[in-house]
Amino acid sequence: MSADLVQRTVALCRELRARGLLVTTAHAIDAVRALGAAGLASRERMYLVLRCVLVSRPEEMETFDEVFDALFSRQAAASGEGPVRVRRRSPPRDPAAEVSLASWAEEGEEGGGGEEPEEVPAASDQVANAAKDFGAFGAGELEEIQRIAARIARRLAARPSRRWKSAARGSRLDLRRTMRRSLSNSAEPLDLRFRRRKPRKTRIVALCDVSGSMDLYSRFLLQFLYALQGTVARVESFVFSTSLRRVTGLLREPEYALALRGLSAEVHDWSGGTRIGECLSAFNEEWGQLVDGRTVVVILSDGWDTGDPALLGAQMEMLRRRSRRLVWLNPLLGSPDYQPLTQGMQAALPHLSVFAPAHNLVSLRALERHLLA
Amino acid sequence: MADPAIATSLHLALELRKPLLIEGHAGVGKTEIAKVLARMLGTDLIRLQCYEGLDTSTALYEWNYARQLLHIRMQERDGHAAAEAEAKIFSEAFLLKRPLLQAIAHEGQAPVLLVDEIDRSDEEFEAFLLEVLSDFQVTVPELGTISARERPHVILTSNRSRELSDALRRRCLYLFIDHPPFAKELAIVRRKVPGASEELAAQIVGLVQRLRTARLAKVPGVSETLDWAAALVVLHAAHLTPEIVGETLGCALKDEGDLRKVRAEIESGRLPVGGP
Repeated sequence: MSADLVQRTVALCRELRARGLLVTTAHAIDAVRALGAAGLASRERMYLVLRCVLVSRPEEMETFDEVFDALFSRQAAASGEGPVRVRRRSPPRDPAAEVSLASWAEEGEEGGGGEEPEEVPAASDQVANAAKDFGAFGAGELEEIQRIAARIARRLAARPSRRWKSAARGSRLDLRRTMRRSLSNSAEPLDLRFRRRKPRKTRIVALCDVSGSMDLYSRFLLQFLYALQGTVARVESFVFSTSLRRVTGLLREPEYALALRGLSAEVHDWSGGTRIGECLSAFNEEWGQLVDGRTVVVILSDGWDTGDPALLGAQMEMLRRRSRRLVWLNPLLGSPDYQPLTQGMQAALPHLSVFAPAHNLVSLRALERHLLA
Repeated sequence: MADPAIATSLHLALELRKPLLIEGHAGVGKTEIAKVLARMLGTDLIRLQCYEGLDTSTALYEWNYARQLLHIRMQERDGHAAAEAEAKIFSEAFLLKRPLLQAIAHEGQAPVLLVDEIDRSDEEFEAFLLEVLSDFQVTVPELGTISARERPHVILTSNRSRELSDALRRRCLYLFIDHPPFAKELAIVRRKVPGASEELAAQIVGLVQRLRTARLAKVPGVSETLDWAAALVVLHAAHLTPEIVGETLGCALKDEGDLRKVRAEIESGRLPVGGP
């Protein structure tokens, strides 16, 4: 194989890596080996070989095609040009967007049921004052929030997984261990061992928007998180507005008032503007390891973002890939007239598994279902 | 009917000896590829069907307890000591080999190991599988380490019901199979359902292709097209009419909401069914 072709292949790998594909040095070696083994007959063949080795999910096909075209075009091959600058195209529309929108319509009906349609002016500090809205919440109803949180927590903790573990008691006989133990008393299975379902460990990572436009809601949502964290150990809480801050420790206070005091002392840009994309990027970078295939990520925000929507979209995609579910709770969704048209919300929508309202108790109860699914 | 992308991927999987991960919609023939590969190589196909909760005792191995117990009883009757029995009952004769171990302990020509619908298993199993795929050896505590003489050819399929880990993706070659274009699907129908007339086959494929562009909860795959064609042949349909489509639509659409939606489209004439 010509040195030029090897060079070109390596350049292709580098460009793909720069564009966020999962391409390692091992892939580059494989790519060259694969070309040697199968791919020199035609440009078409070369394309198929390299795609098979270097692409690992369908979303990457378009990027691959672009980069391949730029680096392996006939002109480039003829003139022997080095790596070519390739122009970036906007990401393709994801069919998941439709799903999220459909579920949004349903949830909207459920959450706003029986309420009068009304206008919710966007990021201002005006708020829908429907009877059940958090805006009109009395102290007695705070207890209800705690009750819901406790119930969700109980169900999360008690949920059995599909896997079994050995135990002294359980619903099924563990034949393997019983046999093993029986050998010490001449194969008489006196000491029975059992198997039981291992509890499923769902972890929740909650990112709560505390910027100005969320002022009214974040108080209640934080309360909800506080109650949730009081019962399940595996809740990680963060607040964000222009920057991100982990508040898991602060929320561990025995009393909510204390936790709140701690929060306002520690979080300085409380009620400022919002840069969701940057905060999520900071989260992915610093706390990314908290999210795995068993983690439900919940973002509580109205989607009013003053940052870069492209960055927000990219970070959301990363979160979606890593997590079990990605849930966005938007208090504004409680209003029947609300449309998620802000740039930030538009960028985030395609990546959500659930887009639901969080403005009243009904919607918090619905959250139970989203977290457990 | 070898598609160049599929042929290239299989060729590479054989040459580089790497697992091939095949993704695509349900019913595009992902599983079929493994079967064809095994037939082509003239070797055995070992299939591991994944599901949530799949664990090592169903995927790898399990001891044959009933046989172990019987054996111990017989040994006792003949007056042998328990220690002697223990050595015997944890030997290969009492081991039930599940698909992964079968593939590793396979004698002769390397088999094709099909790990079907890996996305339905859980993350723990995926991690375990990754370990097996990286060195093709398994340790059974009572027996020692068993390693593959010939690395099996591994094909994994996924319906994308959940995102697979990057670690797994990194280790595999990748093939995405989309729904086939009209001409190819028509050829498949003609070959698999020889009883369907040219006209009928073209009409069915045309209609299914149109249905795929609609927003449906469950998009019909090639296997649905084939089922539908076969059903129409049984009903002696020479060509499609709105009535017969209405009666047999359930072959292609498996979701109540989809059925209602498409029936309404056909009744209103917005979706023509008679034309070629």
